[in-house]
Amino acid sequence: MRSHRAAEGAILLDHRNNEGVPDEIMVAQGLPAGAGRGLFEAATYNCSHCQFTVVINPLRNRDRAYCAKCDHLICDECGARKAAGADCVPWKKVVDDALEAATQAQQRSIILSV
Amino acid sequence: MAKYTLSWHSVTLTPVANAAAFTDSGYGFFLQGGSGTMQCKVSEVYIGGEATASSVIIGKFARDSTVAATSIGAGTLFNALNDGSATAPGTIAVFGQVSTTKPQRSATLHLGDLSFNAFGASGRLWANPGEEWTTIGNTASLGEVSFSAFTGSGAGPVGGTVKYEVV
Repeated sequence: MRSHRAAEGAILLDHRNNEGVPDEIMVAQGLPAGAGRGLFEAATYNCSHCQFTVVINPLRNRDRAYCAKCDHLICDECGARKAAGADCVPWKKVVDDALEAATQAQQRSIILSV
Repeated sequence: MAKYTLSWHSVTLTPVANAAAFTDSGYGFFLQGGSGTMQCKVSEVYIGGEATASSVIIGKFARDSTVAATSIGAGTLFNALNDGSATAPGTIAVFGQVSTTKPQRSATLHLGDLSFNAFGASGRLWANPGEEWTTIGNTASLGEVSFSAFTGSGAGPVGGTVKYEVV
């Protein structure tokens, strides 16, 4: 069984040699308070619906949004959409559909040019 | 398939709002598929500050709602195969810092935030293998990604590196 942690990436911000970035800017950008000071390294995951990189804040108490259909953590925004009734459309399906449409368009243009 | 490193240096960033045209050579890079069916899988984005005084960068790695087109120029970008013995595919990805039709960052499809102080600091994002950020084709909004500075950001300058694979 594959763990969700096996899909984690990482973010590294190195401010060891300067005054860093104020917390209000980091928090406004979706990063944890304190991320702009010293050496900040945290695990991340990419939302399986939109590919947004979510920085995992170890101090967060709320549950992470999770999609049981694609068995992957999703970002809060996609989690809110899912809670409102939106269907699960994993990014891998978006890729497949886009490639299928592009391939069909190419084949149509070849057939029409013959 | 072929894995590449795209790097740049000494770019003075011009902050822009979402859905506004970038300024030539005022953003890190754009990376676009080289054909309607090409996929580029970005596995790492690294930005390093080159400023000589404090300059807080509000960096956005994001998809573009308008893709670059016409008279595309590489600016200070360098694109190299990671494996010196690898053979480049017949069609490679399109990348640049200059174009007639300027890229515009999507208002919604942001992929990652890299805010840091360009006075000697650096920021790096990695994706787990299999979870890479992917472009599909070469049209908006899935066909291009870019790194740029958001409204309110300092100017830098900055350099950086992007690791990606053409699929």
